[in-house]
Amino acid sequence: METAQSKISFTINGKKVERRVRSSMLLIDFIRNELKLKGTKPGCLGGECGACTVLVDGVAVNSCLYLVINVDGKSVTTVEGLSGEEQSLDVVQLSMVEHGAVQCGFCTPGMVMAIKSFKSQCDHNHHTPDREEIKKNLEGNICRCTGYVKIIDAVEALF
Amino acid sequence: MDFRTISPQTTEELLEAIKQNQGKHFRFGAGYTDLIPELEMQMENGLIVINLAKLKDSNFTSIFLSEDGIRIGALTTMTDVLSNKHLQKFPVLIEAVESFASVQIRSVATVGGNLCTASPAGDVSCALVALGAVSEILIANGQIRTVPLTEFFTGVKTTVLKKNELLRSVLIPHQKSAERILSGFIKIGNRNSMEIALASLAYHITTDKNGIITSAGTAVGSVAETIRYTESACEFLLGKNMDQLSEEDKETFADNVLKYANPISDIRASAWYRHQVLWNISKSIL
Repeated sequence: METAQSKISFTINGKKVERRVRSSMLLIDFIRNELKLKGTKPGCLGGECGACTVLVDGVAVNSCLYLVINVDGKSVTTVEGLSGEEQSLDVVQLSMVEHGAVQCGFCTPGMVMAIKSFKSQCDHNHHTPDREEIKKNLEGNICRCTGYVKIIDAVEALF
Repeated sequence: MDFRTISPQTTEELLEAIKQNQGKHFRFGAGYTDLIPELEMQMENGLIVINLAKLKDSNFTSIFLSEDGIRIGALTTMTDVLSNKHLQKFPVLIEAVESFASVQIRSVATVGGNLCTASPAGDVSCALVALGAVSEILIANGQIRTVPLTEFFTGVKTTVLKKNELLRSVLIPHQKSAERILSGFIKIGNRNSMEIALASLAYHITTDKNGIITSAGTAVGSVAETIRYTESACEFLLGKNMDQLSEEDKETFADNVLKYANPISDIRASAWYRHQVLWNISKSIL
């Protein structure tokens, strides 16, 4: 039988969440409006810009194109999950800071999450990517300030 | 955006959901990378979405070798295709997937979604048509019917699928053993990333040890109402020696490809440009 509401249970940034949600609710709306985690940015809301990128089971996805009911049983990580009061910045964030890869900052959380996913995948395959591969893997993230050079430098320095 | 959902976990539950809702307005959701933007643009009243994301049926979710070929489940993602070892022997398919959207979208968008969206610009669909793939359609009564992808698309965003059916998988039939393979996907766009093709050409051509062309599959995208298999261009190549094609042969091949193009002028490119560029890329592959 079809339902307008669904019960979901998943972890976000290591914490378990159980809620009843509207079945058609988007993951980005749940993260920003229900959990009040505002690090995940709404940009184009159509999968073009990558500002809303989060990790679902470690893989980068656009949270604006993902139904929250489909994270049931999964693990979600947002930019808030990479650092906290007791935890220093993640290596990806540190590299971005060191290389001056942040200007206005709006794309940065999505960029960081996309890079995080890419780095984990490369580490898993014991692979060192070249600049072309780095560019290819950031094609879903738009930055209107930096011209990308320093972002790519920051990723290259991770390997 | 507001709709109700049904999330079947088994094939039985899925078939039941399809049967129960024949009198209602429903759509299938898999990767949602096309459905959500479409519904955000224009919501459909009283919509029920049959959510396929939780379906556990390996016929839908896996890629596996069988006696008759390689079967790709409709719910396999683009990333699954890229990492599958059996599919590496089809550069046309791999290149089409690599040219598709972004890494975030490739991780969730499904092969079946690309086919059922039936966009004339569908990259992966175009490659599968060139490979002579066959759609395997599950009917609500549990039976399967097969339709070659060359007959699957009936118009812009329309397919042969009836309301009580959905795409379960596509089969790439086993190819003749080949000495040499000329296989690839050319996508013309205004930029390299996140692009929708202005024109595209998928090709998979094999030769024997003497260079004689033993099989040829080419398909075009974004130049007609649907993706089209360019049959007469393929037939023209059969039996010819790949290494001894004259300039005239290459031009005749390109002329044949163009027979299937009926492009329109729109915001992205003119019909004239699409014609010219398709002829040039067709000639360039030989």
